[in-house]
Amino acid sequence: MGGVDVGGAKGPRRTLDSEINMIPMIDLLMVTISFLLITAVWTHMARINADAQVPGPPREVEPDKMEPEKQLHVEMRATDKFVLIWKQSGTVISTVDVPRKDALTVKNGKKLVRFPELAAKIEAEWKTVGQHRDATDKKFDQAILHTDNETQYVYLIGVIDALYQAHRPYNIGGKTEQVPAFNVTFAVN
Amino acid sequence: MTIARPGRRLMHAVPLRFVQKKIQGFGHRSTNASLSLTSMIDFLVVIVVFLLITFNASGETPPAKSVRLPEAENTLDMIDAPMVAIAGSQILVDGAPAGNTRQIEDSKRLQRIDELFNILKSKREVWKQLHPGKDFPGVVVLQIDQDVLAIVVKSVFQTSAFAGYPNVSFMVGNIPKSSTKK
Repeated sequence: MGGVDVGGAKGPRRTLDSEINMIPMIDLLMVTISFLLITAVWTHMARINADAQVPGPPREVEPDKMEPEKQLHVEMRATDKFVLIWKQSGTVISTVDVPRKDALTVKNGKKLVRFPELAAKIEAEWKTVGQHRDATDKKFDQAILHTDNETQYVYLIGVIDALYQAHRPYNIGGKTEQVPAFNVTFAVN
Repeated sequence: MTIARPGRRLMHAVPLRFVQKKIQGFGHRSTNASLSLTSMIDFLVVIVVFLLITFNASGETPPAKSVRLPEAENTLDMIDAPMVAIAGSQILVDGAPAGNTRQIEDSKRLQRIDELFNILKSKREVWKQLHPGKDFPGVVVLQIDQDVLAIVVKSVFQTSAFAGYPNVSFMVGNIPKSSTKK
């Protein structure tokens, strides 16, 4: 048995010492550990956001009165290169080729594709051409991903991940946080 | 009260020498081992505290076993939203069947998946009835296997958007940023 002596027990008064029964205490600890181990989630899931760019409810500023914005088109159809194209209402502003080197790693059957050169180039491009950089700006620069129909999903995620490397400050409820600089959507053709 | 070492108790009352000797292991080293109760309780308490800190009661839905999610590093935290999973050729919405992808794979054309569209649309209507006067967030989370073709991804993406879910999130495994930086 374990005991807790809190002292001060003198004379005929009732003792302040109390004993903890070790067996139920260890049982309780064991049951708690078992429960927590069984219910534990060891895999940490996350998400990558995309926006389908469908028309929303009517706005105060009519869309036709707004100046068309620059959009980054990411072409990933070629096997040896990516093409980054900045367009403004159909007009090509600039084009950059990035050599494609698929850094594919497989661990426990899970694939990870990374394009570090593409990510660095997109970040540099956004820093020079990107329009929405201020923390108070509620809009995001738009990236459109062009891919062929046969591409595997893991490669799409690799390119979206590279697009999301560029970060910008953003005010959320008075706090400034770093969020991805681009909104990504897919080209339908 | 101190903790006293209990000593041997098994058959100690039997007044026979050979029984006593057998209990004591015939002069061999005892197989009994004493355990320090203080260290053991410290150890258990540390484990309980660690598990309690890492415990997540949000009820996060793990991905379906047949779905191998790709991994990414620039990710956002998970949110509570309808979950569309593509397991093999089957499409599931929150675990319930919602069509299959064979037709898209065969035709290799972007197309709307009617069954998925109807289920998502009805979910949206239910949400609006349950939350009158609130803006519908229009968020859906896609759980897609790493080897699924882009045409299927785009078809599911577009169907979700048509059904009123333009904010599409792709569920991925999270990897720490520093581990892959070169």
